[in-house]
Amino acid sequence: MTMTTNGKSDTDDNIIVCNDVHKWFGNFHALRGITTTVQRGQVVVIIGPSGSGKSTFIRTINRLEQHQRGDIFVDGLELSNDVRNIDAIRRDVGMVFQSFNLFPHLTVINNITLAPTKVRKLPADQAKNIAMELLERVGIPEQADKYPAQLSGGQQQRVAIARALAMQPNIMLFDEPTSALDPEMIKEVLEVMRELAASHMTILAVTHELGFAREVADRIIMFDEGQIVEDQPPDDFFNNPRHERVKHFLSQIL
Amino acid sequence: MATESNPAPPPLSSALPPPRMSVGAAGWIRANLFSTWLSGLLTVTSGAVLVLALWYGLDWVLLDAEWTVVTTLGGQFIIGSYNSEQACPGQNCFWRPQAALLLVTLLLGMGWGVAAGGLAKRIALIAAIAIALLAFLPYSLDKMGLDVRLLLIANLPALLAGWALARYTALGTARWIVILSVAVFLITLVLLRGVPGVPGLQPVLVQNWGGLTLNLVLAVAGIVLSLPIGIALALGRRSNLPVVKSLCVTFIEVFRGVPLITLLFMSQHLLPLAFPQNFPVNPLFRAAVVITLFSAAYMAENIRGGLQALHPGQAEAARALGLPGWQTTLLISLPQAIRNVIPAIVGQFIGLFKDTSLVYIIGMVDIVRVGYRFVSGNTQYLDNAPEVFIFISLVFWVFTYGMSYVSRHIERQLGVGER
Repeated sequence: MTMTTNGKSDTDDNIIVCNDVHKWFGNFHALRGITTTVQRGQVVVIIGPSGSGKSTFIRTINRLEQHQRGDIFVDGLELSNDVRNIDAIRRDVGMVFQSFNLFPHLTVINNITLAPTKVRKLPADQAKNIAMELLERVGIPEQADKYPAQLSGGQQQRVAIARALAMQPNIMLFDEPTSALDPEMIKEVLEVMRELAASHMTILAVTHELGFAREVADRIIMFDEGQIVEDQPPDDFFNNPRHERVKHFLSQIL
Repeated sequence: MATESNPAPPPLSSALPPPRMSVGAAGWIRANLFSTWLSGLLTVTSGAVLVLALWYGLDWVLLDAEWTVVTTLGGQFIIGSYNSEQACPGQNCFWRPQAALLLVTLLLGMGWGVAAGGLAKRIALIAAIAIALLAFLPYSLDKMGLDVRLLLIANLPALLAGWALARYTALGTARWIVILSVAVFLITLVLLRGVPGVPGLQPVLVQNWGGLTLNLVLAVAGIVLSLPIGIALALGRRSNLPVVKSLCVTFIEVFRGVPLITLLFMSQHLLPLAFPQNFPVNPLFRAAVVITLFSAAYMAENIRGGLQALHPGQAEAARALGLPGWQTTLLISLPQAIRNVIPAIVGQFIGLFKDTSLVYIIGMVDIVRVGYRFVSGNTQYLDNAPEVFIFISLVFWVFTYGMSYVSRHIERQLGVGER
């Protein structure tokens, strides 16, 4: 992969381009040279043992973590210290967290309309219409005027997805979106993610839901000790992994 | 979802009502007061102490105490010697604080008109009725003239006028109430201070302001200003900019580390240096500045505590949505942080209100000083100091209890979205 000097990647199909990305927490080398490319519309599932750097990696893509070496290009923009680029990339990248992180002091509808009205400067009624459409899409329009604490975990996570989608992002990052959920609620969240994948959204999802990965992902990437140890389509990933560590990891969680 | 294709499972046993608590008042007394022999002993002993205290307390309050000392002081508790011949020669100045009071009542009425909840209404009505009832105190007309009484009663129509203004005009919004509150505060200052050359508004030196009015003016200024300054200091202390951060830390630690009395003393010499030569750095202004800054230092730490208790995911989620840092702070972090520390903030307000009585140190005569000067200056009342100070305590308590009452309501209202 070659880069032109203006910081644009040369192929527009590559929506995320990472080149030798390193990240340290103090002395701990969390990301050790990640080089990978994600194409527009691809669904990439990232798995790996805890502490392997998978969450850190997707958090570098919208600058919740700052990488210290290498380059990251997101939708043609380079993630540098340029605040305008960072803000532009964050508007373009939606993120869903393990702990939902809904704003507890705002109603569901206000959680969703906040960024569109404040950042995109949409008129309030237009933002509200979009929010209601999204709530329909994730299946809980009747919860619009409740507060997050009044919803179940699965409902909260679906609101969080709607909130991220309200900014009309081109990329969605999921950081263990179902890990904090009771089993019966995991399904409803995966359902929404499946629908999202079908709509050709570019998705990077850190998750332990291997069934979901097998069914939806275009690629599964496995992280271990801050490196990518495997990157294959689901069939090959599960059936003939190249790396011993994949077999070991799969044997541990299956 | 999972069961769509499966038949519904057979019903399990139905839910039972909760068991009845042990029966009635007798059961409650047994369970709470006499559950063990030790508990029974404690109940009997503390009951006896309570009855004795109440007995002697009531005996003193109703029979022994000479409450006339309180009535003799009367209006001085409220405005000190503001209306004295020395402060306001050749004129009756009492109408000026009373006019200010009418404006405040008008605002209370507007608050009632705007607020949906019953709290604003309750406070407005209690305050206005209590003020109006003062008009019927059994003083002779020489001591409490008809004009004074009428102006007190006028608070009731003022309240209703405020309510109507809020209900039937464009002024009935929270924004207008904030703007008008600031205006009323400034008008109050002008009314009390006077304007040179304007008949009826001859200047009254702030040294002659006194009584509860002085405590309230200082408390309102301190409360309204210390909160935003405290917020700014708390944010500054958490800032990544080393200069801003160290300035804020220094400010907080200096003002928190020195007794308020010391600051009040020092203000006399230090504050004038910070202002242009002709600036009126009078005792009232000095006291207001010192009390505000002192309180802001504590306020900053309260707010910082609230900010630190927030889950970092909150700010992350806001940043991930593309909100810039200042909006994240303003719309996400601060509202939650402040909500979490309302009890501490209100505690700080209550402390500030009580601390206003320390201004006697720089020669101002607040309500406590009014009482102290009177009993120590009139030998025939020397034995009545307890009555005076119990009355003053009661006045303070009414206001501080009002504050914590309001705070509890706000907490409950904001608790809707409790995590």
